[in-house]
Amino acid sequence: MFLLTVSAILLVGALPQPTWAAEGAALAGRVVDFQQQPVRRARIALYLNGEEEPYVEGESQRDGTFVLDLPDEPVDAVRLEISHPHFRTATWKATWADLERLNDGSAVRLPDIVLERQLTVGFWIATLTFLAVLLFIATERLHSTMAALLGTAVILGISLVGRPINEQLFIIDFEQAIEYVDFNVVFLVMGMMIVIGVIEETGIFQWMAYQAYRLSQGRVWLLVASLMLLTSVASALLDNVTTMLLVAPITLQIALTLGIDPLALLMPEVLASNVGGISTLIGTPTNILIGSYADITFNDFLVNLTPGVLLAQVALTVYVLLVYRKQYRAASAAASPALLAQLEENARITQPDKLRKAGSVFLGIIVLFILGEQFHLVPAVTAILGAVAMLLVVRADIEQMLRVVDWTTLMFFIALFIVVGAVQEVGLISYIAAGIRLLVGDNLIAATLVVVWAGAILSGVIANIPFTAAMLPVVGFLTRSLPGASNKVLFYSLSIGAAMGGNSSLIGASANIVTAGIAERAGYPITYRTFLKIGLPAMAITVTVGTAWLFIHF
Amino acid sequence: MGKILCATRGGEASYRTQDAAIALARERGDSLIFLYVVDTHFLDRTERAVRPDVVAEEMARMGQFLLTMAQERAQAQGVQAEVRIRRGEVLEELKAAAREEGADLVILGRPGEEESAFRQVDLEAVAREIEEETGVETRIV
Repeated sequence: MFLLTVSAILLVGALPQPTWAAEGAALAGRVVDFQQQPVRRARIALYLNGEEEPYVEGESQRDGTFVLDLPDEPVDAVRLEISHPHFRTATWKATWADLERLNDGSAVRLPDIVLERQLTVGFWIATLTFLAVLLFIATERLHSTMAALLGTAVILGISLVGRPINEQLFIIDFEQAIEYVDFNVVFLVMGMMIVIGVIEETGIFQWMAYQAYRLSQGRVWLLVASLMLLTSVASALLDNVTTMLLVAPITLQIALTLGIDPLALLMPEVLASNVGGISTLIGTPTNILIGSYADITFNDFLVNLTPGVLLAQVALTVYVLLVYRKQYRAASAAASPALLAQLEENARITQPDKLRKAGSVFLGIIVLFILGEQFHLVPAVTAILGAVAMLLVVRADIEQMLRVVDWTTLMFFIALFIVVGAVQEVGLISYIAAGIRLLVGDNLIAATLVVVWAGAILSGVIANIPFTAAMLPVVGFLTRSLPGASNKVLFYSLSIGAAMGGNSSLIGASANIVTAGIAERAGYPITYRTFLKIGLPAMAITVTVGTAWLFIHF
Repeated sequence: MGKILCATRGGEASYRTQDAAIALARERGDSLIFLYVVDTHFLDRTERAVRPDVVAEEMARMGQFLLTMAQERAQAQGVQAEVRIRRGEVLEELKAAAREEGADLVILGRPGEEESAFRQVDLEAVAREIEEETGVETRIV
């Protein structure tokens, strides 16, 4: 019922909202920043006849618009004062022509009022807090959710306590902060958690990995290619972390059965999983963020990125076959019957009946993702409907399944949206966007290269989820302002850069970290250096292929 | 006849530890137990949704496989070994296993050059802690 209610709320939320309208003498206008972006919650004070106290005050809406009604009596002078904590105050005065119209009882539409940004103390606090959150996550000094929550607490706490002392300390208030939370992302992630939670206990991934081993009949190159394809497709349809958590243990056993270094199979798999996830909206959290922000559908990702991903996978497969050729040549089939029996036992489908039902529902979910855009079904609703269907068909224990929902992860997203919203509010993101715009000029090719490669390189150093969340408004600005960028090529560039960039270092992607965790518990640690040695060239190859694809396709 | 408890994983470093434990068991005529601890604390390092119960189950199967390899290694050297799998934090489970199994000797492997569950510098302290809390002799090999 809860999930159905949520679905209904999301459906209602997707409907168009009413716009402002004015009757009688009124002033209507729009407040924007220097990038022509609407400024919401700007305070607009209307002064009449040279009086010191405002006649009426209002606030600009989400789209920057405002409407202020004037009295019925004639007025001699009209002045507007537009203020916002993060901008310099602007003033507008009515001309004789404006006054004439207003005194006739007509509405006057003002030209866009452009506010100039100002660097407040709040700007520096928000910026430093954002950087600290990134640092805490990258260095693992704090759990990522804790780091994001701490950032949120600092930002809201200083805004709340500091504002009465000094207006300069204000960053963002609670209502504004909540407006930055993208609940489409939160509910999509939550729905998919339940769907995946049911599927992952069936044993299907392990069985498929074992089939790859069995069918390759000792030809290691074929096994490697099959395992890479498996993890790539599974990552695209579910997510890469789950895929690696389930496939890595059985892969390790397959490697030991063949007498080869397990890292020679695990590394190709994790590299492939990071690349494969890019194919779909639900394959990586960065795609979920991008899809929701830029209104890029499941089909858009499939059509615009899958061919590029396939090309990158081919290049990646050739690369790993070359890099690990010595290990693969050393493979032998010397495992004892007991070990082979153990491997087969560990790779069996544990719940065939549940797999049949869950598989059918999952197929339906994918079809709904593909067809949903025909009737404006937002992905979050598809995921929630899918989760409800999964729970009903599989008859899963609802208590257990709701425990599957990782509230820590959802809190991470919510807190992250608030922290990123804060730096957006104070203007940091605008400055970054303006800097990149200045750097690339009107050159879309240069902009594509900057977004892809900056994304790829930075994703290896800082976590790609907060990086992507922060880059979305930047890419949004570039998309609106650059000639020829309206096909959203820069958002696809961000998707490729952020996800493929995760291959460059151990901390670049969650799938890398969990794979290293499993390998370490089996006595085959993947060090930062080991990963860098294999992953960095892999990143360079796949990002090059990905970039080439973008240039060909767009 | 005494009982040797050997905490193990896989990989070259663990094979050395296993061989040392097997040699000691043969020399002393003791029975040998290989222990694998399923520790999923690394999952705390990801901000992604995972099911620790499913992951733990998979890791237990992987542990069983690694223990079967250790068992075969012992058998090849003429020693019959038993295997145990426990779930939880490695050090705590090691101490609990030492007590519950009635071990006379706990064998810990010196970590290899690469990263280990126990850092080299902490290993002595870990051995001391096991000895103090369980009263079981603990050796680093």
